[in-house]
Amino acid sequence: MEAFRKEREEREADRAAWEALGLESSKWSGKNLSDPIKAVEDKWLLLPAFLKVKGLVKQHVDSFNYFVDVDLQQILKANNMVSSDVDPRFYIKYTHISVGPPERADPDQGESPERFSVTPHECRLRDTTYSGRIVVNVEYIRGTKKIIRRGIEIGRLPIMLRSNKCVLTGKSEAELARMQECPLDPGGYFVVKGTEKVILVQEQLSKNRIIVETDPSKGVVMASVTSSTHERKSKTYVLTKKGKIYLKHNSVSEDVPICIVLKALGVQSDKEILQLVCGHNEDYREAFAANLEDAARLGVFTQRQALEYMGARVKVNRPRPFGAPGGGMQGPRRPAWEEAMEALATIVLAHVEMEGMDFRPKAVYVAVMVRRVLMAMKDEKLVDDRDYVGNKRLELAGQLLALLFEDLFKKFNQDLKMNIDKVLKKPARTEEYDVLKALTFHAQSEGITQGFVRAISTGNWSLKRFKMDRAGVTHVLSRLSFISALGMMTRITSQFEKTRKVSGPRALQPSQWGMLCPSDTPEGEACGLVKNLALMTHITTDVEEEPIVRVAFMLGVEDINLATGPEIHHPDTFMVNVNGSIVGLTRQPGRFVSSFRKLRRAGRISEFVSVYINHHHKTVHIAADGGRICRPMIIVEKGLPRVTEEHIKLLKRGSVTFDDFLRKGLVEYLDVNEENDSYIALYEREIVPATTHLEIEPFTILGAVAGLIPYPHHNQSPRNTYQCAMGKQAIGAIGYNQFRRIDTLLYVLVYPQQPMVKTRTIELINYDKLPAGQNATVAVMSYSGYDIEDASMINRASLDRGYGRCQVFRKNVTLIRKYPNGTFDRLADAPIDEETGKPPDKYGALQADGIAGVGEQLRPGDVYINKQSPANANDNSFNANILDSSNASIVQYKNTPMTYKSPVGGIVDKVMLTETENDQTLVKVLIRQTRRPELGDKFSSRHGQKGVCGLIINEEDMPFNDQGIKPDVIFNPHGMPSRMTVGKMIELLAGKAGVLKGKLQYGTAFGGSKVEDMSQILIENGFNYAGKDYLTSGLTGEPMEAYVYFGPIYYQKLKHMVMDKMHARARGPRAVLTRQPTEGRSRDGGLRLGEMERDCLIGYGATQLLLERLMISSDAFEINACQECGLLGYNGWCPLCKSSKRVAKLTIPYAAKLLFQELMAMNVVPRLILDDA
Amino acid sequence: MEEPTLRIRELQKDRVDFVMSGVDLAFANSLRRVIMADVATVAIDMVEIEVNTTVLVDEFLSHRLGMIPLTSTNCEEGMRYKRDCPCLGFCRYCAIVYEIDVRCTEGEMNVTSEHLTMIPPDQWDHDEEASAAEDILAKRGKNFGVPAGPATDPDPQRKPISLVRLRKGQALKARCIARKGIAKEHAKWSPCSAVGFEYDPHNKLRHTSYWFETDEKAEWPLSKNAIEEAPPGDVFDFTAVPEQFYFDVETTGSLNPQEVCMRVRLPVPACAWKLTMQCRVWQSCKISLLR
Ligand SMILES: [Zn+2]
Repeated sequence: MEAFRKEREEREADRAAWEALGLESSKWSGKNLSDPIKAVEDKWLLLPAFLKVKGLVKQHVDSFNYFVDVDLQQILKANNMVSSDVDPRFYIKYTHISVGPPERADPDQGESPERFSVTPHECRLRDTTYSGRIVVNVEYIRGTKKIIRRGIEIGRLPIMLRSNKCVLTGKSEAELARMQECPLDPGGYFVVKGTEKVILVQEQLSKNRIIVETDPSKGVVMASVTSSTHERKSKTYVLTKKGKIYLKHNSVSEDVPICIVLKALGVQSDKEILQLVCGHNEDYREAFAANLEDAARLGVFTQRQALEYMGARVKVNRPRPFGAPGGGMQGPRRPAWEEAMEALATIVLAHVEMEGMDFRPKAVYVAVMVRRVLMAMKDEKLVDDRDYVGNKRLELAGQLLALLFEDLFKKFNQDLKMNIDKVLKKPARTEEYDVLKALTFHAQSEGITQGFVRAISTGNWSLKRFKMDRAGVTHVLSRLSFISALGMMTRITSQFEKTRKVSGPRALQPSQWGMLCPSDTPEGEACGLVKNLALMTHITTDVEEEPIVRVAFMLGVEDINLATGPEIHHPDTFMVNVNGSIVGLTRQPGRFVSSFRKLRRAGRISEFVSVYINHHHKTVHIAADGGRICRPMIIVEKGLPRVTEEHIKLLKRGSVTFDDFLRKGLVEYLDVNEENDSYIALYEREIVPATTHLEIEPFTILGAVAGLIPYPHHNQSPRNTYQCAMGKQAIGAIGYNQFRRIDTLLYVLVYPQQPMVKTRTIELINYDKLPAGQNATVAVMSYSGYDIEDASMINRASLDRGYGRCQVFRKNVTLIRKYPNGTFDRLADAPIDEETGKPPDKYGALQADGIAGVGEQLRPGDVYINKQSPANANDNSFNANILDSSNASIVQYKNTPMTYKSPVGGIVDKVMLTETENDQTLVKVLIRQTRRPELGDKFSSRHGQKGVCGLIINEEDMPFNDQGIKPDVIFNPHGMPSRMTVGKMIELLAGKAGVLKGKLQYGTAFGGSKVEDMSQILIENGFNYAGKDYLTSGLTGEPMEAYVYFGPIYYQKLKHMVMDKMHARARGPRAVLTRQPTEGRSRDGGLRLGEMERDCLIGYGATQLLLERLMISSDAFEINACQECGLLGYNGWCPLCKSSKRVAKLTIPYAAKLLFQELMAMNVVPRLILDDA
Repeated sequence: MEEPTLRIRELQKDRVDFVMSGVDLAFANSLRRVIMADVATVAIDMVEIEVNTTVLVDEFLSHRLGMIPLTSTNCEEGMRYKRDCPCLGFCRYCAIVYEIDVRCTEGEMNVTSEHLTMIPPDQWDHDEEASAAEDILAKRGKNFGVPAGPATDPDPQRKPISLVRLRKGQALKARCIARKGIAKEHAKWSPCSAVGFEYDPHNKLRHTSYWFETDEKAEWPLSKNAIEEAPPGDVFDFTAVPEQFYFDVETTGSLNPQEVCMRVRLPVPACAWKLTMQCRVWQSCKISLLR
């Protein structure tokens, strides 16, 4: 009790200290500016604090939570009414929607409340979907009464793991263990039909923003904007053509001169147009004048005339019943001006909001676009960069699911309406129509449930409404190693096509700094298009716009609709935009922005709203939309960082969290655009009076995967990129639940070790708890000549003692089916051999239930599930006799056993029997192999230095130092000079020092243990300071002539092992069609003698070898050819010539014979002209 | 060359540090290599698992069991290799049988090498072929086959070797058969963990050339063996050959260090050396050190 009170008092004291802190630090402390600013030690601790609240996959989880909690309601609100065309009084209205906790679709028997409860792991094992019920409240008319019903299920939504709805959220480690879940698993993915699926982050150009581009070759300047609203998506262009400006839109058949558009939008006088577009700027006026003439020449002067002009060119897409040209019975074409009005109001620049039919906002918007084009025409620097990260938005799982749900829900309502109309149409009904039945009936047809499951499991997002048809949106979560799973969660894919040969989108953008990892991108076709998030980033979700607009007006912004052209373009006025739409004007942008920021730092506005000034465009942009990447930074005021030593002390003690720092205005989130409007110091010593922010920690520029590399700042950059790809293939620990999982393929290291040289990132992402590698003692020297081309030598004794030993688990599944005709599969005993009276050897592993026992050894060809299927399973005629158990014997069974195929033996690790959601029995057998490294297995250090094992050397032959220490691995020094992986050498030095001191060392990027300190430790322990050792040859006992760089380096075993790859064949199967040997290891295929090899043989003139390789050993075939007609015959007979006189036998490749016959089938006659050689 | 002599500088229960002189380099290195790879010991070679509900899989546990050092005093004479034994499966002359049978009934427990119990041959459920050679058994040393650990070491600090941790309800039952073998076949039969070897600590013979930036002497600390030899003079003696060899043998516990060195089987001239060594060196050294 006493202790408890003391603790509480302490906490209160901390709180009070915290409250008092900020007040002090904001005061100018009377120091000179030239005084060095003391670095806040351990300010990097803000990073773990950040990760605690945000986490690495928080963007996925946040976005899903936003979808479930906010977006779902909004979608419902937008689609909440279903009425009937038949009965105008009838309606059904959705009033509320919510998603329940994950539930089992096939609950257990009984009444226990637990019977619905499900864990993600159960779904993984049982191949089911981890989903919760979507329930709605409805209000509808039955007869004349209004009925209200609550909690009606309309479908099931797959639940993201660790989201608000997930059962794992907020659970302790012990509770997670009970649910067979790894506490270090990041979540953020779905379990659909038993597979873990990730919806990758998608990168797109931002919506509703003007982008100006030029095409210098054609001299075209183009401003474009993609309008995106809930109803539609469309793209509007303002572009130049021969010096004149036009508006281009999909719904208008030809480009419209811009003045006509502006006139149609109600800006009738030329003077007003000129002022709205150019203000008083003479240059722009001159450039624009030609457009005014254009309109006059076309005889367009008034708004009515302009609308008529446009209306004649608008494509009308309204569905017309029985659409005869020019309108059917019901839909006469409206007057052209009305069509134009409609198009301008709803389709062109759809995102610009209008009140009623007041086109003023759109006119201003078009004018602004025109002005941007004029600016770019005058100064070509004033174009936008598509690749600038600030012009990009990231689309996350939540947004994609929202699109999908809206589509499915609309479809659901459409079907419901059709059903209602069908019933209500019937004139005489016996009872009052209750729509509830139709609703539940529709829900049972699982349109929504299946829609989600199908989309997530195939990755095809096709929504007709937005003409969206994307494939490959979801991926199977790679569980090769913990890092590969984590790396997948931070991955960003781009929508650009991969074949385009432009370098722009692939290049590293300066604006990626701190937001996207500069190292982590794949090599090859997706290089630079697939990116990864940096460590300390967050992706925003939508923030409500209205309150922000209100705040803007309160801070003195004048409404844009009240402003005239000269006012808008006055040199001192800045235009204020909220989410890309123009809101108003201000004369004091600096003051406006700083007060806005003050409000945000005070917590009055969401911390994710960004505000910045664009001086080129004279605009202030406020962004509150979702999908912006942002990251936290320490605020600097008056040359001093707001975060002080004391703050960090309290953070260390755990009395405050990252959110407290935010709330107190010590740190804030900056998105890319606002970052560009700030003056950010990397270190305290670089702070100058103008500095506005201070970086929290430089190494957060890297992502989670690149963060594993020790001393990456000493490496050549591509090496870090290679390691990012390779770290994902390293075998290690996957999760605390790795032995409970039944994955298709699972690799696990027997003795994983945490690296001697760690990084801060490693600790933050828990790589030290789930490592993938071992600290090998490496001698950098040449040995034996079997080490060319990056091969390394491995100590046999190390292998004996367990170095690089791994386990490979493979899943084998079968269904014990029930067939529609009443028959079913069965598991059978091992058959008895009649001679010996014992089951044949290959059934040795089977137990009484017909499945191999756990722990049994399997040899190639052994049966592990002795399944039998009915012979007539596909015969769909139902046979009642079969169902009768007394007649079961009439069913004929054939053997359909599962046999073990690998060339190397295995051991049955696990057997699982369960039932799927549709009542079929599912058997999963996990088979394990334990492998010890062998010649040709692939290894890699953490510096993109891969190599294979070239030779395994006896321990006594290994070189050793005077203490008798022998290397585990000998690494060829030729691997170093051209790769320039200095980080690897420093890793060895730090690792050696760490071993000698008994302490782990750090190789954190832009920091880490210093080489000098490491050398000092080496000297203290009697070693050479450069890490070089005097080694003695194990073979002769003489010392090596040269010194050898010797010490521990963290080595990863990669998943590529010879055992899975080696392949050769002498004789074997052939393809049916061509009679040539089959292709590929899995089909025991032949080894191809390809074109280039063939060229060599031709060049050399080895004709007989050529003949042997290409025909005799492949598909030689004897044919009968007629020398008379040149066609093929058979049995010495030519059917065409009706003679056997001149038929000759010859051998040709079967493929050639096939070709002749195929040609004949195409009415081409290939004739063989034979000649005696 | 002078007569081969051997001087022990330090002898501990698991370590011997000696200086050898009067032999040539090739001989000294052979000794080192043989110590590492050719001295016979006993190690578990076959594991028949009956029950394994631990978290570690069968192969994993078997590997760990194999790595346990078993006391192998006079294994060379006290046991036959499998290949030399006329028996069909295994017998008392070529195998030692252990049983491990643990079940955790409360809380958690550690399974260690202590749980490995040796089964005397008369309790084997296994018919032995009579190939009596009782004298072999008599040659075995004390504690033969007992896992190195508290049972063989009076040191109260000595801990047994950890195998696996059990939770309530988990059990392990297996029969292990240990055999004689050498480290060439598998490192588990190696009697030593490291063999230090050095000669010419001052590099007087210039067999190596040290790398240095400014000062060789400052950058390359001398080894502790340097005190044994006089520092180099001014003149390089190009006729000199290596004379003194400094060994530092650390054992795993299966054999004591003197036996490791003594058991070395070398070709003919070495036999003579071996005898000399046995008489002169090993027996004259203080037996109190061995205990
Ligand atoms: Zn025997």
